[in-house]
Amino acid sequence: MGHLDADCFYVSAERVRDEFLRDKAVGVLGNQGACVIAKSYEMKAAGVGTGMPIWEALVKCPTGIYVKRDFRWYEVLSRLMLDVVRELSPRVEYYSIDEFFFLAGPARGRTFQELAVALRDRIWERVRVPVTVGIARTRTLAKLISDSAKPFGAWAVLDPEAEAKLLADRPVTEITGIAGRRAARLAPWGIRTCLDLARADRRLVRALLTASGEALWWELNGDPVQPIHPQRPLHKALSRGGSFGEATSDPVVLYAWLVRNLERLIEELEFHAVCAGRLTVWVAYKDGRVGVGQAAPLVPSDRFDILLDTARPCLRRAWVPRVPAARMHLIAERLTPKGRRPLGLFDPPADRAEAIARLKREVNARHGRFVLRSGATLPLAAIYRDTANEYDICDVRGKICF
Amino acid sequence: MCTGIALAWSEMPTELIGRHGLARRVHERGGEREFRFLYRDRRPRLPVWRDGRLQVVRWGNGRGQSRFLPRTGWTWLSTIHEGGWRGLGAIPVDIPATLALERGVWFRVRQGIRGLLVPDERGIAVVYMICEPASHYYQVMTRSERMPILIEERI
Ligand SMILES: [Mg+2]
Repeated sequence: MGHLDADCFYVSAERVRDEFLRDKAVGVLGNQGACVIAKSYEMKAAGVGTGMPIWEALVKCPTGIYVKRDFRWYEVLSRLMLDVVRELSPRVEYYSIDEFFFLAGPARGRTFQELAVALRDRIWERVRVPVTVGIARTRTLAKLISDSAKPFGAWAVLDPEAEAKLLADRPVTEITGIAGRRAARLAPWGIRTCLDLARADRRLVRALLTASGEALWWELNGDPVQPIHPQRPLHKALSRGGSFGEATSDPVVLYAWLVRNLERLIEELEFHAVCAGRLTVWVAYKDGRVGVGQAAPLVPSDRFDILLDTARPCLRRAWVPRVPAARMHLIAERLTPKGRRPLGLFDPPADRAEAIARLKREVNARHGRFVLRSGATLPLAAIYRDTANEYDICDVRGKICF
Repeated sequence: MCTGIALAWSEMPTELIGRHGLARRVHERGGEREFRFLYRDRRPRLPVWRDGRLQVVRWGNGRGQSRFLPRTGWTWLSTIHEGGWRGLGAIPVDIPATLALERGVWFRVRQGIRGLLVPDERGIAVVYMICEPASHYYQVMTRSERMPILIEERI
C-alpha cells in the first residue's frame, strides 16, 4: 500500500506559478483573509501554525509573505498529480486534495523503494509540486512512513524489523484516528508509542478503542484491513458552510449566510441527485458557544422553498442573541436518491418552485455561479463580489475527505 | 493605507542604485535581496515607470515641501475621476512592486500598483499611490478601509 502527500500543498501550488515565493516564508490565507490555512516550512519554523489568525502570525513572522487562496488552481494541480499516480498504480484513492492512497506494485525487476522514488520524482518533474511517498504493508503504516519522511521523501518500509523501529519512535497520537481522548485511554496501560499499541493485546485494544481501534491494531501489525477506495462511497451527509471572516451578531447577516449556504447545498444535492431528509444548522460563536438546530422536511426534498422553511426554525434554535457568531455549517442528512422517494401526499405545489429552480439553474449556468440568487443574501454583497469565494475546498469533488 | 512596497533586487537597474543612494534601502528576505520603499522613511521615494524607463521619485508631499500639492501620499481613484487633479499636469504611471505592505502585512503583488505622477511648483516629479475602497478580503487581511489599485490583479 502506498500513501502520497504533497508537502505544504497550497504554498507549493502557489510556488508552481510564482517562482519568487520559493525559499521564502509564505502563508496562504483563507476565511476571507482572516487566518493562515497553509504555511511554508520557513514560516512554520517561525512558529506559525495552520489555522492561526493573521494578526498572530504577523507577530511570529513579520517578514512572511501572504497570498490569497485559490482552490480552482489547487484542484488543477491536484488532478495532475492524480494522473501521475494513476500511471504508476492500478488502484488509486483520491483521499483529499493533496493526499492519495494507492496500491503499490512495482514493475518487474523494480523494488518498492524505486517505485516510491519514481512517483515522487515524476510528480516533481511534471507538476513541480514536492510530495512525500510512503510504501508499506498497510495504509496506516504507509501514512506513518510518509509523515515521517517529509518533506520531499520517498521511503518504502516492508521488512518487519525496520517497521518495528519506525513504530517505536512514534507516539500513538501520530496515527490518524488516535487523538487526545483515545490516547488518554491507552496511557494507563503503558501504551505510548505506535509499537506499544501494535504489541498490545488485541482484545484490550478493542475494549479500549472499539472496532475501529482494533482495525488500526491489525494495520499496525501489517495486516491490511482498510482497503483502497477508487470511488467515493455514497454520501451519508452533504454540507456547506465555513467561516464568516468577520464575526457578526446581526440576525439579518446570519440569515443571509444561511440562505447562501442553502443555495450552495442545493447545488450539491442536485449534483449528486439526492434529496435531504433532515437539515442541521450549526453555528459557532466567538465566546466558544455552539448553537445547533435540527429539523426534517415533511418529505425529503431538494427544493429551495421547502428546505428554507425547514432551515429557518433551525437557525432560530441555533441563534444566541447579541453574541458574535464566527462560522456556520448547514448539513443535509438522510439522503435519498431523487426520483426514488415516495410521492408525498401533502407535497406543496411544485410548478412554481420548480420553474424558479430551473430559471436559477439556467441563468447561473450561462452567466456565472450565483448571478441569480435569493434577495436575502444582499447583506453579503462583498462576499459575492469576490469571485474567489465562488469556489471552495468542498467544491473539489470526488475526494474522500478534506 | 499601503505604506510601503518591496522590489526585488533584480528589477532595479544598477545605475539607479548609485544615483539615488538606494543601498540603505536594501534588505534580505528568504536569502534574496530587495529594496524597500517605505512612506515613513525620512525621504520617502517610489520607483515608477515613465516613458519606458524606471525612475525613483518622491512619494507624496507628507513633509510639505510643496505648498500646493496635497500633504499625503495617496489619492482616491474617485478624486481623479471627479477632476480633482485637473490642470496640474498629472499623468498615470505604474509603480512596479514585488510585495506591498499594509499594517504589518506583506502581501504578494504580481506586477505593481497604479500611481499618479505630478510636478510640484519647482517642476520636481511627485508620485501618489492611487487607492480604492478595500475589497472584503483586503479589509479582513489588513483591517484597512482602502487598498491600492493593483495592476491587472484583484484580491
Ligand atoms: Mg499535505
